[in-house]
Amino acid sequence: MFVHRSTKRGAFAVAVAAVAALAVSALPAQAFSPRSETGVTSSTIKLGITVPLTGAAAPGYNKVPYGMKAYFDYVNDNGGVNGRKIQLVIKDDAYSPILAKSVTNDLILKDKVFALVGTLGTADNEATTKFVNDKGIPRLFVNTGFSGFANVKKYPTTYALFPSYFMEAKAIGGYLADKFAGKKVALIYQDDDFGIDALAGFSQVGTNFVAKIPYASGSQADPTVVGTWIKTIVGSGADTVVVFGVTSASAAALGGAYKAGLAGKLQWILGSVGADPTTIKAVAPTALPLLNGAIAASFLPSPSDSADEYVKQFQEINAKYNKGATFDNNVLVGMNAGMLAVQALRAAGPTPTRAKLIAALNTQGSKFASAGFASLGWSKTSHVGYNGYWFGRISADGSQTPVDGAGKYVLYTTDSSKGAVVKSTITRPAMPEKGLPTN
Amino acid sequence: MRKSKSLSALTFLAIGLFLLGLSNFVDELRVYQGAQIAVYVIAISSIILLTGYSGQISLGHGALMAIGGYAAVLSYTYWHLPFLLAFTVGALAAALGGFILGMAAARLSGPYLAGTTLALAVGLPSLANQFHILGGEQGLSFDIGEAPKWISNKTGGDFTQYKWFFWVSVVCALATIWFIKNLLQSRFGRTWRAVRGNPSAAALSGINIGRSKVLAFTVSSTLAGLAGALLAMLLGLVAPMAFTLTLSFTLVTGAVLAGVTNLAGSIVGAVVLVGIPEFTDAVATHLGGSEKISANLPGLITSVLLILTVIFMPNGPKLHKRKKVTN
Repeated sequence: MFVHRSTKRGAFAVAVAAVAALAVSALPAQAFSPRSETGVTSSTIKLGITVPLTGAAAPGYNKVPYGMKAYFDYVNDNGGVNGRKIQLVIKDDAYSPILAKSVTNDLILKDKVFALVGTLGTADNEATTKFVNDKGIPRLFVNTGFSGFANVKKYPTTYALFPSYFMEAKAIGGYLADKFAGKKVALIYQDDDFGIDALAGFSQVGTNFVAKIPYASGSQADPTVVGTWIKTIVGSGADTVVVFGVTSASAAALGGAYKAGLAGKLQWILGSVGADPTTIKAVAPTALPLLNGAIAASFLPSPSDSADEYVKQFQEINAKYNKGATFDNNVLVGMNAGMLAVQALRAAGPTPTRAKLIAALNTQGSKFASAGFASLGWSKTSHVGYNGYWFGRISADGSQTPVDGAGKYVLYTTDSSKGAVVKSTITRPAMPEKGLPTN
Repeated sequence: MRKSKSLSALTFLAIGLFLLGLSNFVDELRVYQGAQIAVYVIAISSIILLTGYSGQISLGHGALMAIGGYAAVLSYTYWHLPFLLAFTVGALAAALGGFILGMAAARLSGPYLAGTTLALAVGLPSLANQFHILGGEQGLSFDIGEAPKWISNKTGGDFTQYKWFFWVSVVCALATIWFIKNLLQSRFGRTWRAVRGNPSAAALSGINIGRSKVLAFTVSSTLAGLAGALLAMLLGLVAPMAFTLTLSFTLVTGAVLAGVTNLAGSIVGAVVLVGIPEFTDAVATHLGGSEKISANLPGLITSVLLILTVIFMPNGPKLHKRKKVTN
């Protein structure tokens, strides 16, 4: 028979024992020195990052923290930050807010990190926000395009790095008005907040589409769905197609057009999320040649552009400190955030505190050197990072070169509200010698 | 009988006070993990009630938790209900969902029921992407605030929000176990076991099998809804990613580890689920601190535990021991 009655006491003995065991196993507090901030000792600074290392979202993203760590190791071997070596604690959140919350608790309460850097995912960052805010933990360069994180009031210690999807759509709209005036443009977009942000951006700058094709996330895997996109595009008479979706959607659209005999007949313009050639190569190798001639929006240089001083330096660091990893956009993103973090830590002074780090980012952050071509918008009143895009043509080998301006980068910058799109040629700060910040 | 009931009520109260008191002496990390355990206890016991006692299987409890979570957050945000009432709304909404699902479930069994509930777990959370009010991929934030002054003042010291989460979750978990324990000893509990044991015999003795199954599904869903609302509290948000298929599977794993016919085991299951990553972290640190190990080890250990449990102790650790004694 069943044991519901006789287990009464056993159950509670177990409960009490379990909780007591957890309590006893609580780690002793770290040696406490009243003069230094949590996570900072005379010889080390501890930072933490949460990313999906396992699960469906892991491929690609799991390279970001190792790129960052490689850069930190390089800096450490060259004297560290004011004599302190940077330790990066990497935690897997499997792209789940539940796990993100518990591993962030671990980072803050057990590992006692000084700051978080490059934490990935919108919901994952959102889940830890309240605790991060309450504890005043600086959360630098969150790895998401959700525009909300730039809101200083709601996220006082959080710094966005990527431009928001809204800004990206405005920049693409500005680019279309500049270079594709009079063309018939169709839009394929993901039918959730990602795409809805984008629609708002396009309508803000008055972009007109001959067809707007929404797709539900995931449906791009269905060839019949892709078939209807192509039919709609052909029916609308469009000669230019903007894809504002994930990489697998870009790949599907390109593949569908090829099947329908439209190869070379349409000009493709891809949003930054869906335009990483390395990822397209991995997701749909057959679509890679079709990328030839497509135009993509980017804020970082092409990871294959070894002529770029930042990329060249990062590639060297990658070869030495990140053995076995192919240098791609994910590694670049990780190293770039690492370089910005090092400058922020240096700017916080010889005795860094969390408050000093925040103050340094607010006052000096916009002048930091980084691989991004647009300027950084950090200030006391705004935590928006990069503010613009350049447009590059992708060639068959996956490299991306500037479309116009005779090989020079032309930027389309904008803001996250009603500001116009401005064409500019801002030159980013030169890379510090050997990629080692001296600010 | 009455005496033993009041005695066990006292036991519950004592345990509650002990746990709440304990929260003053452990660090914040353990307090949060304690709250997580309490929430898992509720979720796992809802599965034990359904599978162990009424003999129905559900791979979709994550979806029912999502209903509870979203309903609680929406009612808290838009109707400005006190959070405990919002939790109640969450539980009731999940009850309604469970009632409807239960009507279908009562006609299905085995793999068909598993499939139906699985589909729910896959499909339902992504609905949030379709309706703007549900907040899309980044979800809706949910902050129940700090503990009321009359509680935090009395205990003295620093009453963190995590401690408040712990208090709320522990009280809910104890109330849940108390409720299920009594329910299982009542007429309903006996009916469920009769149906589970032999449906034909149960029908012959006048039990309405369909009704009994639907009731079990509804009660189980109510508790899952409560767990979902509490999970939303712990996370500070509801989002589709919080209620994935993995969550549903994790809960079933917890229930199997606990022994599906053993209510008390839900505590063991919950402690194991929360404790495994902690354990693997320690192991990985010993082995040289690679996060690649600590990231992959929990899944491996859970799977191995699950397989070992099913092979060696299919009825859970407790029953297994008992059988040996009677042999």
